[in-house]
Amino acid sequence: MGAVVAQGITKAFGRGEARTAVLRGADFRAEEGELTFLVGPSGCGKTTLISILAAMLRPDEGRARVFGTDLSGLSGRRLTAFRGGTVGFIFQQFNLLPALDAADNAAVPLIVRGERPARARRRAVEMLDRLGLAGSAAKRPAQMSGGQQQRVAIARALIHEPRLVVCDEPTASLDAATGRTVMGFLRDLVREPGRAAIVVTHDERTFPFADRIAFMADGVVTHTALPPFEEKHP
Amino acid sequence: MPRRPRAGQGRACRRGAPVLGVGLKMLFGDPVKLLGLVAGIAFSTLLMTQQGGFFVGLISRSAAVIGEAGGVDVWVMDPLTETVESPSPLRETDVLRVRGVPGVAAAEPFLLGTGSLLTAKGETTAVAMIGVDDGSFLGLTPRFVAGSPDDLRRPDAVALDQLAFANLWPGEPIEPGRLVEINGRRAVIAALTDVTPGFGAPATAYGRRSEVAALLGTPQPTSFVLVRAAAGEDPAALASRIEARTGLRALTAEGFTDATIGFILTSTGIAFSFGVVIALGAVVGILVAGLTFSLFVNENLRQFAVLKAVGLSNGRLALMVLAQALTVAAIGYSIGLWLASAFFDAVDQPLSDLKGFFLPWQVAALVAGATVVIIALAALSSLWRVLRLDPATVFRG
Repeated sequence: MGAVVAQGITKAFGRGEARTAVLRGADFRAEEGELTFLVGPSGCGKTTLISILAAMLRPDEGRARVFGTDLSGLSGRRLTAFRGGTVGFIFQQFNLLPALDAADNAAVPLIVRGERPARARRRAVEMLDRLGLAGSAAKRPAQMSGGQQQRVAIARALIHEPRLVVCDEPTASLDAATGRTVMGFLRDLVREPGRAAIVVTHDERTFPFADRIAFMADGVVTHTALPPFEEKHP
Repeated sequence: MPRRPRAGQGRACRRGAPVLGVGLKMLFGDPVKLLGLVAGIAFSTLLMTQQGGFFVGLISRSAAVIGEAGGVDVWVMDPLTETVESPSPLRETDVLRVRGVPGVAAAEPFLLGTGSLLTAKGETTAVAMIGVDDGSFLGLTPRFVAGSPDDLRRPDAVALDQLAFANLWPGEPIEPGRLVEINGRRAVIAALTDVTPGFGAPATAYGRRSEVAALLGTPQPTSFVLVRAAAGEDPAALASRIEARTGLRALTAEGFTDATIGFILTSTGIAFSFGVVIALGAVVGILVAGLTFSLFVNENLRQFAVLKAVGLSNGRLALMVLAQALTVAAIGYSIGLWLASAFFDAVDQPLSDLKGFFLPWQVAALVAGATVVIIALAALSSLWRVLRLDPATVFRG
């Protein structure tokens, strides 16, 4: 049984004549302990699919199960709670809160879950330490490089120990070396039991880190490839 | 690295305080927008409290004579009299009739009129002339700053308020002894008082009733009968008894103050005029705070989406936005109130034309309520965007 299983997912946006189908019966699978890439041209529905798998969006049709939980059966409040407890996010633009320093940014998921701020911050500093940002805990995002910001975002994604990590173009704003470091970190993460990660990317340099790659086109997953993958642009 | 995976949904937690801390950090982390928000609320608060204080001060002046009259329990007047500064004259026999009412310890005539004061240098001013009973001085202000009530027993003597003195003789020592003309008759400023100016004239002069009647040239020297109640007598009950026995209108000092202010409020455009200015203050506050807060929320929508994405519910997000709004309101209100208080402290000086103007706590409380409404409207107008926000927005570039 896969960690993430989606079947027949459809999703359209807009109304009347402006209504556009983005997903047209997409099937998707990500296995526990694996780093699954989701690739395809812009507009093919990757972001919409991971939004549904990350419990942010409800499909029009189809079912999505994440670690055994049928997302379609959850109320809005339970979806929010599920997201907060089970899913970690890494975004292309980092999406750090500019007014908070690195430690507070990393601590946000814990604080949202009701952890005492001081304890949450202590855990965040430990996490940043593991990510090589020991001296940057008190820095604000504007005082950090892109690579440092992405590591803070990773700390935020992992601090509450989510089972599923969803990454949207995690290396797009990073240089090649930093991108490799980030991907290596993610691959190590999912090797721990009970975890999975889905990475949406256009960055073919990162393909060697994937355990499987799902290709999308026109709102469906057309096929899935297994290793070995070549680094197209070393 | 994380030690072990956690199963299923995250633990339910209803504690919102830590999240409010994140919201406040977001607020204080953007000092420029915070300044704009606070300035809008502070300006609105200042405008509303200052105009509210002005309004109360001005209205209070309409009844200042009543407040200055010491030892008076009941004011008796002609039934046609509406305010203290526009009395219909009484007959001399009315004083005797009031004295005959049980429970009256003392009843004395009181004269109030308006004269024109002329200095030797040719300066003129309207002056409220108050004549108290020659023997008892009932109704005389106790607030003398130079000279004493006994000085009023001298020929042609009046006691002028020191603010009027300072305006008539700017820069000169404030002391008794100057000669003036009141309605073309000689008068001596024998003493100086610290009374609050009334509504109708910028100067106030006290004197013996016989002296003031002569200065005003009035044939009817009784405007009111001032009553001191017997020991243990309830002033309100005594007022009712006087009305029943004499057919005159009788009010306690508090009742007459309220009646005078009520008449001014309902019969003049003052309330409307100040009400418009105060309402404009509120509207400006709503617009400035609303637009700035809306801008603040708009520019932070992505951050709110991130918080939603990591599991923050709509309810706690709404609380966070409201906490941000209330924090802004508290800071802005405090600054505006402090500015207004400083203003009234500065102007409420013995020699200031705005003497007696102050900031009543009731005005401060009302403005606090208005400020909460203003910022709540501003927050609510922005909140719906936050609540409808799609957390998947965070995946869009």
